[in-house]
Amino acid sequence: MKLSKILATAWENMKQRKLRSSLTTLSVVIGITAIISLASLGEGFRFDVKQRLEQGFELDVLIIFPGSFMAGLGQSFNQTDVNAIRTVNNVTLVTPLITMPTAVIQNMNDTKLGALTLGGINFTEMQEMLPERFHLMQGHFPTAEENKSIVLGYKTRILNDTVLANVGDNITLTLVDKYGVYNETFEVAGILEKGGTSGITNFDYWAFIPINTATQIPGVGENYQILLAKVSDTKYSEQVAKEIESKFKQYSITVFVPSSLMRQVDNILNIVQLFLMAIASISLLVAGVGIMNIMTVAVMERTREIGILKAIGAKSRTVLGMFLAEAALIGIMGGLIGVFAGYGLSYGLADILSNFIQPSRQNTAVVHVPETERMTITPVLSLEWTIVAFIFAIVVCIIFGLYPARKAAKLNPVEALRYE
Amino acid sequence: MRPILEVREVKKSYRMGKVLVPALCEVSFDVREGEFLTIFGPSGSGKSTLLHLMGCLDRPDDGEILIDGSNVLKLSDDKLAELRLTKMGFVFQFFNLLPKLTALKNVELPLTIAGVPEKEALEKAKEMLNLVGLEARMNHRPSELSGGEQQRVAIARALINNPKIVLADEPTGNLDTKTGWEIIQLMKKLNEDKGQTFVVVTHDPHISETADRIIYLKDGLIEGIKEAPRRNKQ
Repeated sequence: MKLSKILATAWENMKQRKLRSSLTTLSVVIGITAIISLASLGEGFRFDVKQRLEQGFELDVLIIFPGSFMAGLGQSFNQTDVNAIRTVNNVTLVTPLITMPTAVIQNMNDTKLGALTLGGINFTEMQEMLPERFHLMQGHFPTAEENKSIVLGYKTRILNDTVLANVGDNITLTLVDKYGVYNETFEVAGILEKGGTSGITNFDYWAFIPINTATQIPGVGENYQILLAKVSDTKYSEQVAKEIESKFKQYSITVFVPSSLMRQVDNILNIVQLFLMAIASISLLVAGVGIMNIMTVAVMERTREIGILKAIGAKSRTVLGMFLAEAALIGIMGGLIGVFAGYGLSYGLADILSNFIQPSRQNTAVVHVPETERMTITPVLSLEWTIVAFIFAIVVCIIFGLYPARKAAKLNPVEALRYE
Repeated sequence: MRPILEVREVKKSYRMGKVLVPALCEVSFDVREGEFLTIFGPSGSGKSTLLHLMGCLDRPDDGEILIDGSNVLKLSDDKLAELRLTKMGFVFQFFNLLPKLTALKNVELPLTIAGVPEKEALEKAKEMLNLVGLEARMNHRPSELSGGEQQRVAIARALINNPKIVLADEPTGNLDTKTGWEIIQLMKKLNEDKGQTFVVVTHDPHISETADRIIYLKDGLIEGIKEAPRRNKQ
């Protein structure tokens, strides 16, 4: 018997038992819908997280903190440390950052600017370090001579839609510590472009002065709180991080490797996704048991028919094929409908999830609340998952259909004909 | 001329629970090509069992069955199925049509199994239904047909593959006398017109008397074989 005819016969048989066939197919649809919706949702979620991480971090820049997060970031680096790191292989650039979180910046009307942190940096090196991010919207970066110039982050100078400082304006910088009061006037040289998303190197709430000026401030000095090191290729990131750590045996440092963080996050999301899909797969197995059950009943009901077919010359494998074809058709239909239903459902789930997950605000203490970036997950229907799920549906149906189909094929024609 | 089918010392018994019930004890006879043979006996005489063995639907416990001179019991189940498909036709007491298929589709079935192209199969099925006088009822399902009509469909189905032997197991057993007689006459006519061999199992003496040859079976043994010489073919 030709395969096309076997399939056609199977289809006819299914049509004659519409309710039963649709219910069996529905069970497969539910399984595949669950798998596909979780797959597309997971894929979309991963894509979103990845994009956020890429926006938040320069993948080829290592961020080095003195001390450890657990023990506290007590100490600081000096120029000797910077030079030591410069000697590490595959490090192309190292630049220090002095942070002065207690600095108060005010405009000429004594209105406080919304800067969270004042940084002392080497502007030339920083541009080279973060070429994608460290951009001016207006003005220029201070030259070596302009030691009383300041560069403002995009959001530091805006309060309730009012611009507090422009390029060329003078602002006052006050730093109070145990060494006394530092009070100096700086000229706004430039304003940084909007950073936008969250991340460790978002400078929207930073203000920067030349590092050489910062080191002159009493109580600040040559104490670098953060070092940035650029690697020639992200594949060396972890090796470079290890080497840098080995240079600081006497006290602990923390090297933050964005690319490895990204990989770890990706791995975790991957595991979570697979775990959820494995659970969803159970529903497909349940569907398989349902198919086995219903087909075993069908074989009993159709014993006489099988006997007739065999008596008039159908081979065992033809009978086997007819039943397996029914199982396969259930798998194909259930798989097809399930893929579409799953993709549709993933949009619904994405919408629900988006309402639950809100991104952490950059800093709620700041008067300017950044526009809330509502996390929107766009489900991604990957071709791989679609094919895998579809084949899985058919394979499960065939495997569970195999037992009843073999039972049918093995029937003795004489006994089957006698069956009432 | 070599017999088309030879039964050689065939034995068969059935297990009923723990008891072994003998159905056939050493039965031997030949079926000649083109004859109309009836196997006559009371119920329980083993005639249906014998027909099933001749039709390769079952295997004997002992003995040989030769078709065209070769022992078919050495063949695999699949080969036997092929043999049933190409060389044999079956007619049963309870018609054994597929209830969900129309008369036409039922007749077409053996050709479908054989992989004959649909158009050709359809033509041939119509032709066969014509031959048994059912051209007007071919799109009806078995439940919409009378017993006699259903048996005609079954005969058309048995003949569609142009088999050498048609095996009929009590073909009139479920029909009234008049209809049963018509069915036997139809088979006789087909036997004469097409020269196909017919083996008919019956417990009706009137029907068995119409045959070229009668094998009397009782308690799994052949009691005698009676020829009707005037009807015997060359």
